[in-house]
Amino acid sequence: MTLPTLLNHLDRRALLALGGMAVAAALVGPALADDLYGPKATGARSGGTLNVGLLLEAPGLDPFHQGAEARIRITVLMYQGLFYETSGGKALPLLAEGYDLSPDGLTYTIRIRKGVKFHTGGAMTAKDVAYSYNYIRDSKNGSPGAGDFGLISAIEATDDHTIKMTLSSPNAAILMTMGNKYGAVVPTGYFDAPDAKTRLNQVSVGTGPFKLAEFKPNSNVTLDKNADYWEPGVPYLDRINFVSVPSGASLLVGLRNGRIDMAPLTRPQDIRQVENVRGLVVGRTPSFNQKAIDLGSELKPLDDERVRRAISLAVDKDEIMRASVGGYGVVIGTMVASMQEAWGVPIDKLPNQKVDIAAAKKLLADAGHPNGFDLTLTTIIGYDWMDAAAVTLREQLAKIGVRLAIQRVEIGVWIRNFQSKQMGFTFNDWATVPDPNLLFYRHFRSMPQGADFRNWKNEAASKLLDEGRTESDPAKRKDIYGRFQQIMAESVPTIMLFSADHVTVRAEKVRNYDQHATGWFYGLARTWIAS
Amino acid sequence: MAVYLIKRLAASVLTALLASIVVFLMMRSVPGDVVGQMLGQTSDPVATQALREFFGLDQPAWRQYLGWLSRVVSGDLGTSWTRGQPVGGLIGSALLVTLQLSVATLVLATAIGVPLGVVAAMNEGKLVDRAIQSFTLLGLAAPVFWVGLMLLVGISTATGWSPPLLYVSPAQSLRENLSIMALPIVSLAVLQAAAYSQFVRQSVVSAFSDDYVRTAVAKGMTRNVVFFRHVLRNVAIPLVTFMGLILVQILGGAVIIESLFSLPGLGRLMLSAIETRDYPVLQGALLIVVVLAMAVNLGVDMLYRVIDPRVQVG
Repeated sequence: MTLPTLLNHLDRRALLALGGMAVAAALVGPALADDLYGPKATGARSGGTLNVGLLLEAPGLDPFHQGAEARIRITVLMYQGLFYETSGGKALPLLAEGYDLSPDGLTYTIRIRKGVKFHTGGAMTAKDVAYSYNYIRDSKNGSPGAGDFGLISAIEATDDHTIKMTLSSPNAAILMTMGNKYGAVVPTGYFDAPDAKTRLNQVSVGTGPFKLAEFKPNSNVTLDKNADYWEPGVPYLDRINFVSVPSGASLLVGLRNGRIDMAPLTRPQDIRQVENVRGLVVGRTPSFNQKAIDLGSELKPLDDERVRRAISLAVDKDEIMRASVGGYGVVIGTMVASMQEAWGVPIDKLPNQKVDIAAAKKLLADAGHPNGFDLTLTTIIGYDWMDAAAVTLREQLAKIGVRLAIQRVEIGVWIRNFQSKQMGFTFNDWATVPDPNLLFYRHFRSMPQGADFRNWKNEAASKLLDEGRTESDPAKRKDIYGRFQQIMAESVPTIMLFSADHVTVRAEKVRNYDQHATGWFYGLARTWIAS
Repeated sequence: MAVYLIKRLAASVLTALLASIVVFLMMRSVPGDVVGQMLGQTSDPVATQALREFFGLDQPAWRQYLGWLSRVVSGDLGTSWTRGQPVGGLIGSALLVTLQLSVATLVLATAIGVPLGVVAAMNEGKLVDRAIQSFTLLGLAAPVFWVGLMLLVGISTATGWSPPLLYVSPAQSLRENLSIMALPIVSLAVLQAAAYSQFVRQSVVSAFSDDYVRTAVAKGMTRNVVFFRHVLRNVAIPLVTFMGLILVQILGGAVIIESLFSLPGLGRLMLSAIETRDYPVLQGALLIVVVLAMAVNLGVDMLYRVIDPRVQVG
């Protein structure tokens, strides 16, 4: 980890205030980053209510069927999977205690934590674990996460605290898959009741540090401390109110006046307004998300690789990043910022990353477009960064004769186009959990194993994705994904522009909040309020 | 009267039915559905199909509509697809917020607008009139959103106070509730008070040139007596009509104000239902809005009769 990234982990204000001490803390940072939910606090005070302001409300709280990030970031505090995905990219045992893998890489024997209770009061056993994972991996149950569990052929409880999981072929990402994005361990038979899915919006049935107290649409999601939680001494907070504040102006006023103790912000103009306010601390951490330009091959002339390369050579990622998020982000090549160190190919070792107008023009001429062509860029209404980025991109592409029209569509329309693989030329904004298989496979593996949303149909890349999924040796795996990224940069099904930082503003009294790279609110399980 | 009422109600039911069909068709013709929203950037066809079946989206549209209608007729608005809560309850609590906002705005706007209009009319052409007219123009020109934002930011900058963001109902704590609702109500009332004052001024000024007023004045009555005894009555009817119109306008402005001040009202409920394609919530909420608008109209017509017994309804 380089020093600038290290410093990003710290609150800049804290750094100024504490001087040398903060640097010492920073050096301990990377080790602590691999703790469950973030580092435990020393001298923490228990109690208190934290008010978190959210511009985007959770559409629902069902961890099995609701795929929105606005849901996931909250439900990770109520529900737990077998493993925890650290910001550093490791899968730590959570409801699991440990596991053994058979030499052929096909059978996992996973030891399940003892003494864990559901919010409903019952004790959690291996039977519940098997039930929950068998439920989610069955596509017929309608979970968006089902596809990630595809290689599992059986999960069964062998005794109260052990499960045996058999795979049809080795899957190096399986532990990360059993993390907390989709699904969780819930009581056996939970989904037998016809109203089970909808009831998840009223009562939580997980094992996490907080349980659901109230979900009032357009108003608040309130979580209460789980008094029976299995980790000793945590959480510290008695209650968290996630308050829905749809207006940015209102959220900023609330932060200044202490109505809101903490809020994630995304618009640079909002961040600047609170950066120098007394009593507020702005924290900034790199992320697993990516803002990208997708190039669907179903839209001519994007089916011609030369055209896609030409576009890539005309794109100045840094300029777009500055224009759209005001510098609160990291320009990337073919890997999201927080996974770059573990899995990424250095950006200067990848093709088509530096602007080269002459080369781009030549490629276009070779492809039969010496005078450029007309192209429509789709952006999503409500994604503020896309508006500024679109205008910048239009200027950049004009230099190679590509005349860009900008079409703003509503998110429902955009998703329909995406799912039916008619995405065309569009901005995209998505995030991953830290494993390259989970990042790339579904999006880029050709049909039918993958979804290949961009109609890329690249067999060499697909072969590498299959290899990367089954390879268990970390060094060989990194090499495989390195080669995959080279192909991606060369053939350009997508142009990954930048990872926007997670910017969290909090009152000074809010202590020990560690923003996870996913953007989820894991850190609140370790947060306390100073009196 | 009874016959008239029955006729009106029958017509209302028919209108509501037609409106529900239009709403239903409009929603289904918008691309995307709740399943797409839930699955996001995944597209497992089996999972998609399973969820579509769960929500009944695999059925033909006419069957979905009849299913919804038969449940509504039996008093069940269904369950929200994304919130998992009964639609009736969701709409009920949102409606209370919006109604409080609208009625309080109406009362405040009337309390400010009507006296201003009367004072302006009684002093037609004088300085007072001009001052009031200027205020009126300003109020009419300022968008609700802008007024709300200026009040919020202005008051918070000046005093360090801003309204609480977590809604509290009047039943829980009237004081807390008022501290939340005061700014939104004032923001909405500014425009309506201005509109009111202009309307009232116009009506009163024109009434003063009517024959019956001239006769009254000729009898030697003072302007004030003429106003209270004759003019006010005659102005009342258009005023009630105008009130009905304003109430509908306030409901529209409420959508914006609810978002700005984080109020869990009907406007925001509908907005989020559109975004997530939560058909049961949207259809239910729109039905309630249509019924409400019709009820206001009917109420206005009934009021005419109370104000002026000469008005024959039916």
